[in-house]
Amino acid sequence: MFRKYSVLLRMKYVEMFAYRLATIVWMTGAMVQPLITMMVWMNIDPDQENAFIFYFAALIFVERMTSAWDVWELEREIREGTFSYQIVRPFHPIHWAIAENIVYKALFLVILIPAWGLLAVFIPALRLDQISAAQWLLFFCALLLAAVIRFLFSYTFGLLGFWVTKVTALYGMFEAVSLFLSGRIAPMSLLPPFLKTISFYLPFRYMVGFPIEILTGSVQGMDIVYGFGWAAVWCMFFMLAVLLLWKAGLRKNQAVGG
Amino acid sequence: MSIQVEHLYKQFRVHVRQAGWTGAVRSLFKREIRTVEAVRDISFTIPSGEIVAFLGPNGAGKTTTIKMLAGLLYPSSGSIQVAGYVPFEQKAEFKKIMSLVMGQKSQLIWDIPPMETFLVNKAIYEIEDRAFRQTLDELVELLELEELLTKPTRSLSLGQRMKCELAAALLHRPKVLFLDEPTIGLDVHTQEKVRRFIGQYNREHRTTVLLTSHYMGDVTALCDRVLIINHGKLLYDGELDMLTEKLTPYKLLEVQLSSIPDISWDAYGELVDAKEGKVTLRVPRERIHEVSSRFLQQFDVRDLNIEDPPMEEVITLAFQEDAHVS
Repeated sequence: MFRKYSVLLRMKYVEMFAYRLATIVWMTGAMVQPLITMMVWMNIDPDQENAFIFYFAALIFVERMTSAWDVWELEREIREGTFSYQIVRPFHPIHWAIAENIVYKALFLVILIPAWGLLAVFIPALRLDQISAAQWLLFFCALLLAAVIRFLFSYTFGLLGFWVTKVTALYGMFEAVSLFLSGRIAPMSLLPPFLKTISFYLPFRYMVGFPIEILTGSVQGMDIVYGFGWAAVWCMFFMLAVLLLWKAGLRKNQAVGG
Repeated sequence: MSIQVEHLYKQFRVHVRQAGWTGAVRSLFKREIRTVEAVRDISFTIPSGEIVAFLGPNGAGKTTTIKMLAGLLYPSSGSIQVAGYVPFEQKAEFKKIMSLVMGQKSQLIWDIPPMETFLVNKAIYEIEDRAFRQTLDELVELLELEELLTKPTRSLSLGQRMKCELAAALLHRPKVLFLDEPTIGLDVHTQEKVRRFIGQYNREHRTTVLLTSHYMGDVTALCDRVLIINHGKLLYDGELDMLTEKLTPYKLLEVQLSSIPDISWDAYGELVDAKEGKVTLRVPRERIHEVSSRFLQQFDVRDLNIEDPPMEEVITLAFQEDAHVS
């Protein structure tokens, strides 16, 4: 298993560099929306300027560490029929996707951490000296869980491609809801109470917002425990979904194309 | 038995959509679903080490059958056993002893050199270092891949890519090989090379090969036995030569004469062509000896040639359902 992964990781790494320009464009492009949202909030409430800068900088980081694109890949592969080659090989296709996620996220990590350090020299709001060791530990656990949930969510929708030809349209709808409920448009604390309540039970908060809340200190005590509890529930839910959809999808598979 | 198929059926449910604006809108509200029977009651067995061709026009059900044999499609009913495994159970042990090559699809990773795919396959199929090097060397030599290994796949020509596809599929030394139109779109020279490689590989490694092709050349060069399928039904299973005899009970007699006499040829056979001193006749198989000796006695024959009708003609006849060849 370990050897298989090391080979897949290497291959994905080589592949990533074959698309180096696309990777850079894609990465910087994804920062535009949070930056603009940040400026909007700073304009609305100038007193909270520093809090917004920190929140949205953390958002950009968490967003890059958790975002998953597997639904688009899977939809294309199933629709064009190239997925067949993944099915006939004796290694579950999900490992290819996991390897790809690890490689890209590792790249983002080595770019974003020094970038943060550099920016913190000039922008005091980004300095991290207030954060305790326990917070860091919880943050990284929540971040890992977020990446796993978001990946499984994307993969679940990708597998629906066995039934629906244009599954990304469906995914887009959920993404739109997620934009509000995950903390990407506004910090959780600014959401109307009823949305806050809903978001507590839905998976979206645990894909992005929850780790940031731990870092900013806006979630504390037992709420952190409940948060991890729900995140774990959703994580298991999507694992089960992937497992069942994979089994059922293969029976449904039309293996299109000559 | 390497491959055993019994009473295999596959139905697809497809949405029917009318063309044009109104048709597109209508299909939004009311989806018409039609059942297509892609494979209807097919049975055959292939002993291990044999190389068999699957023939049929487009949409006959060849690819659907191959996909069921490879475990990609779930059969509607019937049973399949490949080297003792039920393909659809998706067992890793099964996947390790078989390989599938689809002429129209690529397993090579598009933007990086073929060697990277080979290394991935080495890990996935758990091939030992020594066995891998040995197999790779052999394939590189047989298929002349040396210079292709390090070029990005997307920059390879179709023929070069196909050779790399074959190599990728054979690295784990499969016992059963499914080739779905492996020579499609290749030029005659490359077709010939790929064909020769498949034949040689089959002989040396006793790999069971089932191939589909549109090119008669592939079939006549590689296979003694053919399966002919049309509209999802198996029409013929047997030797290629037997098929010719059954379907075309005549041979072509070509006679080169000093000059063509102005007579009726009906007593000899059915006239196909007569020009520049050369007469071509269609003669029933049982009369061929008699007719040719009559020619030699009665005319000034410079050259005489007896041939089977072209394979294409035989196959066209076989595809017609009323041919009753089975």
